[in-house]
Amino acid sequence: MWRLNKVRHKDGRQGDSVEELKLKRREHEKALRQARRDRQLVSKRLLLNDDEDQPEVTMDTISGEHDVVSLLHKLQQSGPERDAHLKALSKALRDPSAQLTFIKQENSMHLLVGLLTGSDATCRLHAVRCLHELSHSPITNVAPACLPATPYLLTYLSGQSTKFTELCLYTLGNLCPDSDAVKEKLLAQGIIPALANCIENQRPNLAVVEAVGFTLSQLLQAKDAAEKIVPMVLASSLPSHLLSVLTPDPKFGLAPAIECAWCLHYLTCSVKDNRVLLSHGALFQCSSLLVSLGGAVAEGNKEEGMELFICPLLRCLGNLLSSCPAKDLSAQMGDVRIVVALCALLQAYLQTQPALARESAWVLNNLTAHSSALCSALLTLNLVPGLIQLLPFSQGINTMILRVLANIAHKKKEFCVQLAHRGLLSALCATLKMADQEMVTLSMDVLFMLVVSGPQVSEEFVKQGGLSLLEAIQYNSEGEIRQRATHLLEQHLMS
Amino acid sequence: MLQPELVRLLTEGHALVKSCDEDCLTGNTLEPRQSEDEEGNPFNFTPQLIHLHKDHELFEDGDIHRHMYLQDLYISEAVDKPTLSVSEFACHISGCSAVFSTLEEYEHHYNSLHRHMCCSCRRSLPSARLLDIHIQEWHDSLFTILAQRQDMFQCLVEGCGQKFSTSTLRKDHLIKIHKYPPDFRFDKIKKNQRTQQMKKQQQRDTTMEVVDDVCESEGACEVMCDVLSHQPEQGESMETHVSEEEATCMAKSASTEGHADLSAAAHSTENPSSEALKPRYSYRVPTTVCFGHGSVRGFRGRRGRRK
Repeated sequence: MWRLNKVRHKDGRQGDSVEELKLKRREHEKALRQARRDRQLVSKRLLLNDDEDQPEVTMDTISGEHDVVSLLHKLQQSGPERDAHLKALSKALRDPSAQLTFIKQENSMHLLVGLLTGSDATCRLHAVRCLHELSHSPITNVAPACLPATPYLLTYLSGQSTKFTELCLYTLGNLCPDSDAVKEKLLAQGIIPALANCIENQRPNLAVVEAVGFTLSQLLQAKDAAEKIVPMVLASSLPSHLLSVLTPDPKFGLAPAIECAWCLHYLTCSVKDNRVLLSHGALFQCSSLLVSLGGAVAEGNKEEGMELFICPLLRCLGNLLSSCPAKDLSAQMGDVRIVVALCALLQAYLQTQPALARESAWVLNNLTAHSSALCSALLTLNLVPGLIQLLPFSQGINTMILRVLANIAHKKKEFCVQLAHRGLLSALCATLKMADQEMVTLSMDVLFMLVVSGPQVSEEFVKQGGLSLLEAIQYNSEGEIRQRATHLLEQHLMS
Repeated sequence: MLQPELVRLLTEGHALVKSCDEDCLTGNTLEPRQSEDEEGNPFNFTPQLIHLHKDHELFEDGDIHRHMYLQDLYISEAVDKPTLSVSEFACHISGCSAVFSTLEEYEHHYNSLHRHMCCSCRRSLPSARLLDIHIQEWHDSLFTILAQRQDMFQCLVEGCGQKFSTSTLRKDHLIKIHKYPPDFRFDKIKKNQRTQQMKKQQQRDTTMEVVDDVCESEGACEVMCDVLSHQPEQGESMETHVSEEEATCMAKSASTEGHADLSAAAHSTENPSSEALKPRYSYRVPTTVCFGHGSVRGFRGRRGRRK
C-alpha cells in the first residue's frame, strides 16, 4: 500500500538541504527521461515491512555481508530458531552488497526455495520477504537468481493469505521487466491466468488487487507486449476486472484504480482495434469517471495523486475513441458532459502540469472529430471562449486546441458563424502571425472555413484588417502557406 | 471553488444532455464542403482521429510522473514550476527573420518596415501618402516629364496642397512655412536622374540585370521591380497594369530561387492591353508596394526563424 501523503526523500539524508534535494530529484528525473528515450524505462517497487516508515538501508555493509554468510550457515541446520534467522536475513538483504553475497553462496537459492515451500508458515512469509528484497536489487545479476522460485510464487497466487500474496505479486512484478527470458518463462508458467484468478478471488482485498495491477502493468510495458502478451490478456477475464476496479473506493484510496488504469492504458495504446475493451463498456466507464473527476477538479478538490489516475484514464479514452466507429459513439458515450470535464481539466492543469492539459486537448480532438453533438455542446455550453484563451500556449497545446476548433467549424456553416461571434476571428488574426508553421497553416484552414460560411464573417474579417494580413502572408517562405493566402484573397475576399 | 461555471454544468447533468441532442442528430448532419467543387483549392483540413502509441513523445511527462511515483519519489507539489511556454510571433515576409514575443512588437515591426516600402529603392516610408509621393518623384519618368512643364512637387504636409516646380523649392517651403528641419529624413533630394532613365532603357532587354536603384532582393520582389520599371514605356495606366502583372507573379508560387521563371512569366504577359483588368485591391494601397530584403535592416541579430 502506498502512502502518498508522506514526502519520501529516498535519495536524501538528514543533512541535505532543500536545494540539494531538489537537485537530486532533478537528476533522477533526467535519468528517467533518458531511460524512456532509450525505451528502457523500468521501475521496481519495494513493499515495506509493516513496522517501517521509510526504506532504510543499513550503512554497515561489511557486517551485513558477514551476517548473510553466518545466517545462511545457521539456516542450513534445522532448528527452532529458523524463523528468527530468516527474519534477520530478510532485513540484511535490504543491502545491495549483502544481496550479492547471498547469491554467490552455493545453494543459497535452493535453501530459500525450500523454506518458501516448507511446512512452516512463518518461515514461508520470511522467505518470500527475502525473495522480495532480492527482486528489488539494483544489481543486475541478483534478481534473475530468483527465477527458480517463480513457479511457486505463481502457485501461491491462488492462496488466501493476503500479506503473503501481496509479497509474491510484487516480487513477480519486479522480476518481469528484467529480461525477455524471464517474461517467456513466466508466460509459459501461466502468469496471466494466475493473475486473472487472483484478482477474481481476492477482489474485496484492495491491497492485493493493487499488487495484481502493478504486476500486470510490468508485463504490459514490455517492448513486444503487443504481439504476445496483450492478446492473451484481452482473451482472459482480466479486462472486465480491471474495469470494475477503476471506480475508486473512497476509503482505500486511489492506488488500486491507478494501477488498473495504467494497465488499461498499455492495452489500449498497443492495439489499433479495441473491440474487446469497447464491448466491455470501457468507453463509458472512462468517460463517466472523467466527468466526476472533472467535477472534483473544477471544485478545487484535488485529491492527492489525482493526476496519476487522470492521466491513464485520458489516454484510454483518447485511444479508445480513435478505434470506435463514429456511429457507435453516441451509444457508447451518451453524456456530453465529458467535454465540460475536459475543459475543466484543461484549465485546472494548464499552469501546473501542461502535459496533462495537452493530453486533455488531444482527447477533445478525438471526441469532436466525428461528432456533431459534441461540437454543438461546446458551442451551446459556452466553452469555446475558454478554448480560445488557450491559443497563445505552445508546445502542442495551441495546435491541438486549434484542431478542436477546426473540427467544430468543419461540421456546419452555422457553427462557423457562431465561432466567429465568439471571438475566433480576432484570435486567428493573432495566430496567423505566430512563428509555428503548423499554427499558421491550421489557422488558414480554419479561416477558410469561417470565411466561406457567410458574407458577415468575411466582412468582419476585412474590418479587422484581415486583408493586409493575408497580403503579408503572400510573401511567406512556405509555398503552401502562400497558396492558401492567395486563394483566400482572390476567390473569397475580393469578389 | 475554482471554476463555478463548469461545476454547475457538470452537476446539472441530464438536462444538458437532452438539450444538446435536440439541436442536432448525431453525426449525420455534415454538410458537403463547398471546397470540393472549387478548382485548385489548397485547403484540405479534415478532422482526424489521432491514435498515440505507448512511446509517443506526448506521453513523456505523464510516464515520468508515473515512474517517479512507482519509485517512491512522488510529491504532490512540483519541485520546479513547469514552464508553460507561449508561442512567438514571426514576420511573414520571406527573407525577414524577425521574431517577437508579443503581438504589439510584431505589429510595430511590420508597420514600420514593411507596410510602406518602396520596392525600387528599399526605402521605408512612414505613410502611404509619403510612399506615393516618393514613388512618383523618384521612380516615375512620366512625372519627370510632366514636372518640366508644370508644378508637380507637392508639399509634404497633408492639407497644404501647394505644389512646386522643383524639389528644392518645396524644401524651402517646408522649412520656411512649416518649420521643418533642413535634413528631414523623408525629403531627400534624388540623385542621378538622367542616368536612371538610361538604365531603364537597358533594362528592357535584360530583366535579370540588377541595377543600382532597383532593390536587390530575390523572388517576387525582383520581378515586381522589373515589372514596375517597364510600365512607363508601355504607356498604359499605372494602376491596372501593375495589378495584372502582380496577379501573374503572385499566382505562380513565388519561390525565392525561381525568379528566373517568374520574370519569364512577367515577360510573356507584357502586352495585355485590351484585357479587362480587375483592380487587385478593394482598398487603397500603394500600387508599387513591395516587401523585400531591405526589411532586415535594423532587426539583424534576432533569434530564430519561423520553424
